[in-house]
Order: sequence, then C-alpha cells, then structure tokens
Amino acid sequence: MRPYPIRLGRLIAKAILALAGFLAVFPLVWTALNALKNNVDIITRVPRLVFTPTLANISYILGRDSVLTGLYNSVVACGSAVLIGVALGLPAAYAVARYPNRFAGDIQFFVLSLRFLPPVAVAIPLMVIWLQVGLYDTLPALIVTYSLLTISVIMWLAIPSFQGVPREIEEAAFVDGYGAYSVFWRIALPVAARSLAGAIAFSFVLVWNEFLIALMLSSSNAKTLPIVASELSQQGMNVPWGILNASVVLLSLPPLLFLGVLSGFLNSVFRQKKS
Amino acid sequence: MRRRSSLPVTFLAPTLAILLVLSMVPTLYAIVIALQNRELSTPAYSWVWFSNFADLFLDRRFLNAVWVSVKWEVVTVVATMVLAIGLGVLMFEVASPRLRNVYCLLFIIPVLLPRVSAAFVWKFAYHPLYGIATYPYRLITGGMIFDPLSKASTALFAVASVDVWQWGLFFAVIVLKLLETLPPQPIEAARLDHAKRWQIHAYVTLPMLKAPLISLMFVKMIESLRSFDLIYVMTRGGPGVATETLDMYAFSQGFIESGKVSYASAMAVLMMIATVITFTFLWKRVQA
Repeated sequence: MRPYPIRLGRLIAKAILALAGFLAVFPLVWTALNALKNNVDIITRVPRLVFTPTLANISYILGRDSVLTGLYNSVVACGSAVLIGVALGLPAAYAVARYPNRFAGDIQFFVLSLRFLPPVAVAIPLMVIWLQVGLYDTLPALIVTYSLLTISVIMWLAIPSFQGVPREIEEAAFVDGYGAYSVFWRIALPVAARSLAGAIAFSFVLVWNEFLIALMLSSSNAKTLPIVASELSQQGMNVPWGILNASVVLLSLPPLLFLGVLSGFLNSVFRQKKS
Repeated sequence: MRRRSSLPVTFLAPTLAILLVLSMVPTLYAIVIALQNRELSTPAYSWVWFSNFADLFLDRRFLNAVWVSVKWEVVTVVATMVLAIGLGVLMFEVASPRLRNVYCLLFIIPVLLPRVSAAFVWKFAYHPLYGIATYPYRLITGGMIFDPLSKASTALFAVASVDVWQWGLFFAVIVLKLLETLPPQPIEAARLDHAKRWQIHAYVTLPMLKAPLISLMFVKMIESLRSFDLIYVMTRGGPGVATETLDMYAFSQGFIESGKVSYASAMAVLMMIATVITFTFLWKRVQA
C-alpha cells in the first residue's frame, strides 16, 4: 500500500544496525592497531590508518617482568578458582536440580544473593583478615576469595543445565542398576557437558576480568594482569600509548577466546526455553 | 523412581558450608570493623560503635557519592534497556538469520572484555586531542577541543556510555533470542489487523516478554553496582567528585587518601544493607 516509506524505514533500520555492529568492534580494532604503532603515529590530531607497523610495543610488554608475573598470577588464581568452582559447584547444582527439597528455592536465592554483595564490602574485611593471618598479597588468599565467586556462579548457571538433561535417560540408568553417583558421573555430566562448559567459561571470564578485589588484596607479589595493566598508565606524564594499547590487547585476548563457547551457551539456553 | 540416596547431602553440604563461611565471615567482619576505628597506619584500635555511621550522614562527600551512585544506576539501567530493546527489535525485523548470527557474535564481544580494558579503550577514544571518538568533533569544528571526561557535566555520561556499550549490546542479543522464542500466531494476527510494525512490538511482543525483560533489568541493576573498575580507570571519581560513586569513595577513604579502613567499611556496610534489602524485595516481586 505504502511501499516507499516502509522500504525507507527498513533501510534506516539496517543502517542503524550496521552502525551498532561497527561501534561494537571498532574501538577494539582501533586499540589493536594502536598497539602496532609507534608513538608518533598515535599522537596525531587526525587518526592515521596508514602507518608502518612495529612490534616494539608487544615485545616490550612480553619482556617485562611485571607483566609476566601478572599473567602468571592471573592464570594460576583464575585457573585454581575455576577448578574449585567446578569441583564444588557442579555436584551441588546437580543435587539442587535433581533432588528437589523444600529448601531448593532458598538455596538458589542464597547463591544469587552472593552477587548482591558490594565487592568493597567483601574486600575491606578480607584485606584485614588476610593481613592478620599473614596471607595478604599471596595467591592462596586470592584463590580462596575468587572461589566464592566461581562456586556461586557455576552453581547458579549449572542448575538449569542439569534440569535440561532428559529425565528419561537418568531413569533408564537407574533401572539398569546404576547408583545415584554413577548416574551423575556417567549420564548427567556427559549429557550436560556442552552447556556446563559455557557456565565454566563464563565463571573464568568473570574472575579474569575481576579488578577491585585483586586491587585490594595485592600490593606487589600477587598482582593480577588487570592491576598491572592499570598501573602502566600511571608512568609519569609521558604516557607510552602504544605500550598501554598492547597491554590492553593482551589482557582482552583470553576472554575473547571463549567467544564461541559462550555464544553457543546462550543459544542452548534459549533453545531450551523454546522447547 | 529414585531410591533414597546420600547424594544430595554429600553433594550439597560441603559446598553450602564453604559458601556460607566464605560469605558470612567477611560480611560479619565488615560490620565489626565498621564499629571500630581501625586505620591502615596503626594496628591499634578501639570500639567506637555507631560514630562512623553518624559521621557519614554529616559527610557531604558521602551524600554526594550516594547521589552519584543513584544517578549512575538509573542512567546505565535505563540506557541499557532502551538500547537493548531497540536493537533487539531491529534485528528481529530487518536482519536475515545469517546476519543475525553475525550481529549476535559482534554484540557479545564488548561484554567479554575486562572492564579495565573497556575503560582504557574508551579513555583513549575520548582523548581530547588524539581520541578517535572526539575526532569527528575536531573535524567539524575545525580543531576545537572537547574533553568529555574532564567536564563535570559530561564525565558521568561518558563513563556510563562504556557500561552501556558493554551491556546494552549484549542484552540486545538476549532480547532478540527472547523474541525468537515467541509463538508466531499473535504476531500474524496483529499483522492481519493492519497493525504497524512498531505497534506489534509495543502492544503484542514486548508485553508478552514482560517477565523475562524485568528479570533482565534486575540482572542489569545488580551488575550496575559494579561501576568501580570503569570509574577508577577513566576518571578516578573526578573531575572533583563528579563521578565519585560509593565504592570509589569508600576505596579512596580506605586506601588512597587517609587509610580510614573503618570509615570505609561503615560505608560498605550501608551499601550492603541497602542493596540486600532492595534486591531481596525486588527478587520476591519478580518471582511472584
């Protein structure tokens, strides 16, 4: 009836979407480009797209002890916390999902409510506690603190994953004489594996990106990569932009590796809802 | 047919015990510290009971921080939801399935970034002389300078834009997935009644998604409480106290300026009480 304005509307809508897609990634791409530039090519009033690339920033970053220590600390702290989260969170989630009792709702709310706690409110007392125990600025202190995050997040996300496993398979295994534990190990875990992987990846990204707690619980030895990166910016007036950009890229790479897993996780969550 | 088994107890008890210890010890200890007068510089302390709390209500910087936090919460939650619903509906209307997948992947990227990274990326972009985001302004005005992060009137919005960049785009993906789960019949029916596209969404699809959208908003309200990383990297609460939220102020009282750990903890306790009460109340309403 009125094809013209509608077609124009669709065109505008598509343009807005394309613009949003561009804005989603361009700032990051630009940062990656800046990481390959000499300072002269960054400090220009007109942004430069054409430049002679250099690997100096990246090799500088990878050659610094503070960055390597930060990387090591991040990997160890986040890796251990995620392992603890998996070991304690998955079984608990399975119990809530499959053996409902009258506390199930309260347990779920308790686990979620841990997310309401302001990080400062947790970090200040923990700092005092770790100082008193003599574990301040050590990786074990950070790992224990992060475990609170990973256990609760993994548990929260794994409950629906386990609920998504068809009951019939588990019932059949019971009939075949499997015990409750072997049903968990041999049936529920493998069947739910893909969406559990998403939950675990999510918890890793969450602690990898964590900043405030790490900032308050470390002073020199246990600094994680985000803290080291944020400190690079405070090197006097002459800001080494290229180096800073390179450190941002290094910090951002690990979470982006999980992009595929996490978007698959999102899809599986919503496919479940549909059926 | 499940036999009685020890599994729920062996699987749940240790985890819940550990979670309880890990969460209650710091929480209770935060309250204990708030009732004392600990400072970082000396190990000595005494009990001062509620005087930290009394001081807080006379502290104008604290009241400013409360106001900034409320503004931050409202601005980021509203902007995120508006952007998410807008882009989600647009993708649903005009993007082909293949294009939708591409957009979904692109829109998830910002939220995966560490907030420190996101803050740096945009701090460069907003640089008045060399920033890519301020370049169009320099180009149009012939080299005039616009520094969003150091003007009191724009700083909060500039930082909030990064938060919305991360969460609004991500939530757009979720809104799209929610729209895709809807049954097509009501939409068809509305179309047969000659409803316009925007009317279909305003009166049919979005009301059908009311419950999940409210849950989504709830999640964003919780996540918006974590503004510290962005503000710490981008403005440190400045210019002046224009972007000083509660956690930023608590941090600077406790660690940067004076080392008044107890005073900072009193602030954190008030935040904790406010958020726990608010969110418990909201959660019960969302569930009901």
